[in-house]
Amino acid sequence: MNDRERWVAALRGQPVDHIPDEEFGYWRDTFIAWHKQGLPREVKDNAIADRFFCFARRETVPISVGLRPPFRRRVIREDERHRVIVDSEGVEAVVHKDGSSSIPHYVRFPLQTRADWAEFKRRLDPKDPGRRPVDWEWHVRQWRERTYPLGIYVGSLFGRLRNWMGFEHIAVTVHDDPDWIHEMVEHLTELALAVIDQAVQDVQLDFAAFWEDMAFRSGPMISPAMFREFLVPRYKRITDRLRQHGVDIVYLDCDGNIMDLVEPWLEAGVNTMFPLEVRGGSDPVVIRQRFGKAVRLLGGVDKTKLIEGKEAIRKEIARLEPLVADGGYIPHVDHRVPPDVTYENYLYYLKVKRDAFGIPHPRCWQEQMAAAQAHL
Amino acid sequence: MFDLTPLTEAVVNGQAPKAKELTAKALEAGVSPGKILQEGLIPGMAEVGRRFECREFYVPELLIAARAMHAALDILRPLLAASGEVEPIGKVVIGTVRGDLHDIGKNLVTMMLEGSGFEVKDLGIDVSPEKFVNAVKEGGYDVLAMSALLTTTMPSMKATIDALKEAGLRDKVKVIIGGAPITQEYANQIGADGYGEDANQAVRVAKQLLGVAA
Repeated sequence: MNDRERWVAALRGQPVDHIPDEEFGYWRDTFIAWHKQGLPREVKDNAIADRFFCFARRETVPISVGLRPPFRRRVIREDERHRVIVDSEGVEAVVHKDGSSSIPHYVRFPLQTRADWAEFKRRLDPKDPGRRPVDWEWHVRQWRERTYPLGIYVGSLFGRLRNWMGFEHIAVTVHDDPDWIHEMVEHLTELALAVIDQAVQDVQLDFAAFWEDMAFRSGPMISPAMFREFLVPRYKRITDRLRQHGVDIVYLDCDGNIMDLVEPWLEAGVNTMFPLEVRGGSDPVVIRQRFGKAVRLLGGVDKTKLIEGKEAIRKEIARLEPLVADGGYIPHVDHRVPPDVTYENYLYYLKVKRDAFGIPHPRCWQEQMAAAQAHL
Repeated sequence: MFDLTPLTEAVVNGQAPKAKELTAKALEAGVSPGKILQEGLIPGMAEVGRRFECREFYVPELLIAARAMHAALDILRPLLAASGEVEPIGKVVIGTVRGDLHDIGKNLVTMMLEGSGFEVKDLGIDVSPEKFVNAVKEGGYDVLAMSALLTTTMPSMKATIDALKEAGLRDKVKVIIGGAPITQEYANQIGADGYGEDANQAVRVAKQLLGVAA
């Protein structure tokens, strides 16, 4: 099987020679810590790390659902430890000056009024021809003979609005001005449909991806009832359009406790949950027990077990073995690997995972392990 | 006798203008500000907390209820201050720990603590152990509450507890912790007095530690 056949079959719950070998990624601080522990200095971002660790290839088409043009990024002020910035989405936020990882502290959100929304709509024009790159045709030719899965990122119906409005503001606006929320979500739906149409006319896609991040550890940011009212019918329109074009794997990225949202997502045609933060309340074993094989799963290896050590890693992989055997599940760490996981533990995790699930060790692997051992 | 039940319901339903109007009417009818707070507003937030716990309410409902309570409190606060009629059930100092800039969880806990009758001093984000210690030293707080989002910032909680011990203040204040990666096990491990899985539980734990009826 090639990477494309394997990935699609694995998530459809069909037989595979072995599960795909993939991981979510790493924080910037993790690379800095691991460089002191033996990771070559050239390995300094997620794309390079994917190649270094020899993971299976998976890509998305370069069509943008982003703000066009983006807001001008700038630094407003800084002190010894922090920098106040305006990011490319117009959000004013405090970030660490040394670049260390944290969700920023938000100071001001750019989408507060209907007048602000008019400006956002201008930057979210579904008909904007610039959403596809100028070398699109070249890409299309390359994709024809591909051996790896190719998908499309279709954005978000809630998470981006939350980022632009601020959590508190969107949460109360859902109550105070539901018509405005409906209007904005509808526009994002039209944008998603437009980019899908632009892609599927030229290329057969294997999957589609949403991002939402709309759950805390205690549950979703809005009630399942609101979720069904504002979002489910629109997700359904998008997933119906995807299925018309043969795309039956639709995954959604949502951290935190997603248990109350899995059922409405399944109703809406979103069938694959990612990244399944175990400590956040989204254990893949529990989700499969509760929702059956209708739900497909990506992620779900508890990152804190990699912090704990080798025995905990072995137990965690053993815990997930029956779920992998059940099918429709690709295990990997349940978010980016944090810097408090040692490089040694991470290499051990990859070895245990590959051994447990029959994933062939890449040819370069012996050399990497030997180099790491020598450093330690 | 003025019926405060509609005010309680206005808070539960997140009706800020109605909560404000009913508070004004209660005052006109001669109800004391303390009674309005204790028997009208706080029971409303307690009911909101109960519904949140059993997943009848979610965070948006929490926020609009708190907004309704604040609308009423805007009228009551100067009167309460002048009369000295009501003392807070406890004083809490809260912050997101060193290295962590995230504050949604901390803000929700602050909101629920205030809604339950606590006085809360919010130190903000990226709070160093020294800053927590200085606040405890100067403020006479009963509870120190810390929030962390990242596994990498969790050790700042232990560092803060260690700093309290070093300053001889550990027995002066109860320490409660919470946040995405935090567990009861971790709270035990670092010697915290309590752990709140969500905003409502944080309130319950703080009350328990201070011996206040839930």
